[in-house]
Amino acid sequence: MTETVLEIKDLIKDFNGVRALNGVSLSVEKGQTVAIIGPSGSGKSTLLRCINALERATAGSITVHGRTLVSSNEQNQAVYASEKEIRTIRSDTGMIFQHFNLFPHMTCLKNVCYAPVKLKKQSKKNAAQAAEKLLETVGLSDKKNAYPEQLSGGQKQRVAIARGLAMNPTVMLFDEPTSALDPEITGEVINVMKTLAKEHRTMLVVTHEMAFAREAADRVIFMDQGKIIEEGTPEELFQNPKSDRVKEFLKAML
Amino acid sequence: MNGIIEALGGIWNIRDAFAEGALVTIQLFVLTMIFAIPAALPVALGSNCKIPPVRWLCKAYIWIFRGTPLMLQLFFFYYFVFPFIFHAPQVSALTIAVITFSLNYGAYLAEIYRGGIESIHKGQYEAAYSLGLGKTTTMFGVIIPQTVKRVLPSVSNEMITLVKDTALVSCISLSDLFRVVTKQVSARSNPLLYVAPAIFYLIFTFLLTLLTRFLEKKFSVTGEKGSEKK
Repeated sequence: MTETVLEIKDLIKDFNGVRALNGVSLSVEKGQTVAIIGPSGSGKSTLLRCINALERATAGSITVHGRTLVSSNEQNQAVYASEKEIRTIRSDTGMIFQHFNLFPHMTCLKNVCYAPVKLKKQSKKNAAQAAEKLLETVGLSDKKNAYPEQLSGGQKQRVAIARGLAMNPTVMLFDEPTSALDPEITGEVINVMKTLAKEHRTMLVVTHEMAFAREAADRVIFMDQGKIIEEGTPEELFQNPKSDRVKEFLKAML
Repeated sequence: MNGIIEALGGIWNIRDAFAEGALVTIQLFVLTMIFAIPAALPVALGSNCKIPPVRWLCKAYIWIFRGTPLMLQLFFFYYFVFPFIFHAPQVSALTIAVITFSLNYGAYLAEIYRGGIESIHKGQYEAAYSLGLGKTTTMFGVIIPQTVKRVLPSVSNEMITLVKDTALVSCISLSDLFRVVTKQVSARSNPLLYVAPAIFYLIFTFLLTLLTRFLEKKFSVTGEKGSEKK
């Protein structure tokens, strides 16, 4: 039986009169890896940031693991959950940023265990043990006492992934995780993400890495101008795209 | 030449008065630092507060204390606020000086802190919020610890200015080092006595420079100065 862990309905987001999201509906099942592709400015990142409440939607609804983050009232205006509920939902959705955003004044280990200690009231010892395991998962056990500035870009992003996993979130959101990296070292981050996909972590990945979308995603979504234009399995979308917009995009990308 | 050496030798004769004055100067400096450095933080946070009256109050305070001369503030508190508003003419000049200096330096420090807090990239807030951390934990656990290192050079600058500003209190007849030496200079008609406080202020500020260097190293995560990348 499949369980829907993320449900988005008719999501609209305006930035000062510019419509970034124009009625996006999407549901993601537990264990799925969904790749979101599309041209720059198509609203991919905005969609992800809305799920994490880093951007506030103008209208529409988002439900994460049975908790309603936002819903629309009768006037079709977005009504948000309480701050406390928003924080709970945020801790249930791990976010990975393009520019890592690690805390520079903390060691890698502390970066990973900071939120569990503060939010789950875990003892420092337990949290540190769990964090060490996560750093092992991303292949960076030996860097636990290093500070972010001592790491390469790829290593920083892997620590960020471990930090995102630390709260054991239902959904992991990746916002162009390899776009700030040298092409040569994107591989190490992609490999970690592939491992997570194999472990059936629920993941939403905004990416320009077509190879990742093709190989690791269960579903691929193509967005343009704030809308989902087409979606399907990687085979469907990459080999037999239906819309001309997708064909055009793929031709330019591949 | 012999005259100069003799005049400098006169410094030894004022050693007791010098020590008393130096003690007052050090007290004023240390107490101002103890009060102003922490008190400026709520003002810095308040001047960015979403509640308009809190923001206005903090900004007005900063405006007034940065916008008027410190000496005027000293006179105002000494001759007007304490005797007539607080009806407390018995409060010592040192107490009034410490309060005035703390308010004045608090305003400068609040602006330094605010600048430091605003210099932290918004990605740091987003990363903290995305983990589910609240605003207070984010501010005190993530943002402010990063700010400390950035504001250290500016705060140290203020502290060095403070050492020299302490000489202003002679205007409210508080016997700090400068006033004490000035009295001796006129009593003994020996202006070369000023060499002694000059050396004292130089050593004082030099020690502060050393302290800053030590703290900068301590707050730099890898122990190197200025090694932090963006």
